[in-house]
Amino acid sequence: MNGTIQAPTIEYALLAPMLVVFGAAIVGVLVEAFAPRYLRSAIHVPLTLLSLAGAFALTIWQAAAKGIPTKAAAMGAVAVDGPALFIWGTILVLAFVSVLLIKGEDHFVAAASAVPGSAEEEQALHEGAAHSEIYPLVLFAVGGMLLFPAANDLLVAFVALEVMSLPLYLLCGLARRRRLLSQEAAVKYFLLGAFSSAFFLYGTALLYGYAGSIDLAKISTAVGSVGGQDTLLYIGAAMLGVGLLFKIGAAPFQAWKPDVYQGAPTPITALMASGTLVAAFGALVRVFWVGLGGLDWDWRPVLYGVAILTMVVGAVLAITQTDIKRMLAYSSIAHGGFLLVGVIATGKAAAQNASALSGILFYLVAYGFTTVGAFAVVTMVRDAGGEAWHLSRWAGLGKRSPLLAGIFAFFLLAFAGIPLTSGFFGKYAVFQAAVSGGALPLVIVGVVASAVAAFFYVRVIVLMFFSDPAADGPSIVLPSRGTAAVVGLAVLATVVLGVYPQPVLDLAHSAAQSLFVR
Amino acid sequence: MTLQAPGFWPPTGPEIVFLLLGVVALGSALLVVTTRQLVHAALWLVVCFGALAGGYLVLTAEFVAWVQVLIYVGAVVVLLLFGIMLTRAPIGRSADLDSGNRWAAALVALATAAVLVTVVVSGFRTAYAPLDPGQGAAKPLGSSIFRTWVLPFEALSVLLLAALVGAIVLSRTDIQGRK
Amino acid sequence: MELYVPILVLAVLAAGFAVFSVGIAPFTGPKRWNRAKLDAYECGIEPTPQPVGGGRFPLKYMITAMLFIVFDIEIIFLYPWAVAFDKLGVFGLVEMVLFIVTVLVAYAYVWRRRGLDWD
Repeated sequence: MNGTIQAPTIEYALLAPMLVVFGAAIVGVLVEAFAPRYLRSAIHVPLTLLSLAGAFALTIWQAAAKGIPTKAAAMGAVAVDGPALFIWGTILVLAFVSVLLIKGEDHFVAAASAVPGSAEEEQALHEGAAHSEIYPLVLFAVGGMLLFPAANDLLVAFVALEVMSLPLYLLCGLARRRRLLSQEAAVKYFLLGAFSSAFFLYGTALLYGYAGSIDLAKISTAVGSVGGQDTLLYIGAAMLGVGLLFKIGAAPFQAWKPDVYQGAPTPITALMASGTLVAAFGALVRVFWVGLGGLDWDWRPVLYGVAILTMVVGAVLAITQTDIKRMLAYSSIAHGGFLLVGVIATGKAAAQNASALSGILFYLVAYGFTTVGAFAVVTMVRDAGGEAWHLSRWAGLGKRSPLLAGIFAFFLLAFAGIPLTSGFFGKYAVFQAAVSGGALPLVIVGVVASAVAAFFYVRVIVLMFFSDPAADGPSIVLPSRGTAAVVGLAVLATVVLGVYPQPVLDLAHSAAQSLFVR
Repeated sequence: MTLQAPGFWPPTGPEIVFLLLGVVALGSALLVVTTRQLVHAALWLVVCFGALAGGYLVLTAEFVAWVQVLIYVGAVVVLLLFGIMLTRAPIGRSADLDSGNRWAAALVALATAAVLVTVVVSGFRTAYAPLDPGQGAAKPLGSSIFRTWVLPFEALSVLLLAALVGAIVLSRTDIQGRK
Repeated sequence: MELYVPILVLAVLAAGFAVFSVGIAPFTGPKRWNRAKLDAYECGIEPTPQPVGGGRFPLKYMITAMLFIVFDIEIIFLYPWAVAFDKLGVFGLVEMVLFIVTVLVAYAYVWRRRGLDWD
């Protein structure tokens, strides 16, 4: 024990994308502290966008030039493997797009501490106050999203979960309009999120009691070798599962999603619906496949049920919604269910797992872009008091603004999984993997749920195009360049992935080929 | 695990202390949820955390014990008390602390406790881990934090930063800001 | 474990002294009623009048408590680092400096946002 301990090996090059994002976030806080007020946004926007773009470039460079590492980095704490790199790229692009949306319009409250409707709030609005801290907070959240799916042990996963969630809890409460709803959303998200974190932590503790380690690979080894302590393993795995399923909003842990998506500022909703979902799914798949891979006979039936419930709840409850953001939230729940179908589609053969994983990865990309685009459209349809949230206000939009309504209809069709949209190939890839994995009944439920979901998507389309516009209908704001770029990019991604998905499918396939490192 | 587990009888000194601390922790935890004075609930929490810290100490997790005292007893309870005082919570007895859900809540709590106790008992029924004094001291923990756990450690600093930024964002009342 | 026996003895002694002093006071001291004795004790000054029901505390107390927790956690991590410093070498120093700098950024931010001002 004498002398210095050996310094750990940290592969900084591998972690570079994450370090860039965190570094930019810290610089952002410094800017907040020392830059004069009128300069802050002017510094933040390029800083945030450049760091995300730089991190994306580093991810690509790592994958293309240096090859996919075959060993976990940073003393086994972080696994930067093929799926992780693919997910990182996806998250970074989606975060970039969401930041464009954030900077687009005034979505955020002027002074969060002012009581809604008070004179103080009035004054803050009058003075043009703004919380430019939003940008570093988003970067913190994105950094957590990068760490979460790459975490190779449960402690890192927990810290990443908190780094990802904490800024999001906050950002949810900062909507400029309908502030009470926004604050309610933030409190609900925070309380339920903290509760689910506790589940995650307790599960981690029990698994540590079982395996003597929180390293996913060591847990996986212990599943095969340690006997006589099965209750610890089962309850631990179940609690861990509850924590993870909460984050993706799978039924019966979906209750927070509509409220939070509805109350949060729409660009933050876009970030949560895309980035958080991608990150949480990455982590979920890694924990269940790597850490609890030997237990798949036990968790598969449970996830089977959860997937069915999630698809049904998401699709059926979406029909009854009258708020556009709540409807999209339920749609997101349903899509979480479709993705869970892919998680179950494991098999003995590595090829089966790879095809399921590549299906999930492709689905995440396709859904992420479409959902960001849909929320971007939501930000553009305005009433006097902000976004026109009630569905009845969207009636006749196709006659007032055919282009916007057409784009939104296109996104809805992509959600429904109509051929020639990205959603079709996403569902196809996941369902095909599930069929070859022997989960045919699940796929049938999935298809039926898709049909039910298609019903309410089409209902909105009919509402937009075939009913008369209200006399005092909402106005369509002229999009800022950022918002226009987001919508354009989302349309492009949805079309390209729907018509010519092969390159991205190949990419997802090669990313999934090596599966997860252990 | 080749060591033969000693029998439960007669109990050793640390075992007796540990059991007593457990009783104190359990009793004070019950008082936290049943007391009719909100401030008392926070103060009973101090007792509960203190007993837990004592438990850690008996299990030779010295450092964790002192962390428990410094962070939870020292800081978290203070935050809780300030939190209570921020709201319009009355000082003294309040009649409306009970809600109609209390029986359901009690049932859920009992069920949770039953499940967890069953899990721990059935999981560790025959396990025997001899206490190794010094393992939980600051020095070995320092070595392992800066070797195995460097990455989460650094991520924690980012979490702290984000938390403070958030606290200021939510509470800053000076609309003027500093020029 | 033996390390804690002296501490325990000291704690028992301290507690015994405190209980003894308070417990013996009613029997030995004179008892003279005085309005000031029944007032809240505020370090010798006139007690601040409180609104009925306790009133609400300003938010700045909460901020102070938050600041305290964050820097408390920082100190907690400093402690094992300092104890094991001789073994950790340069790497440990660099990591600790990184940690402190990050938390220091939070400090700078709070300072510039007047989180440290009381009024």
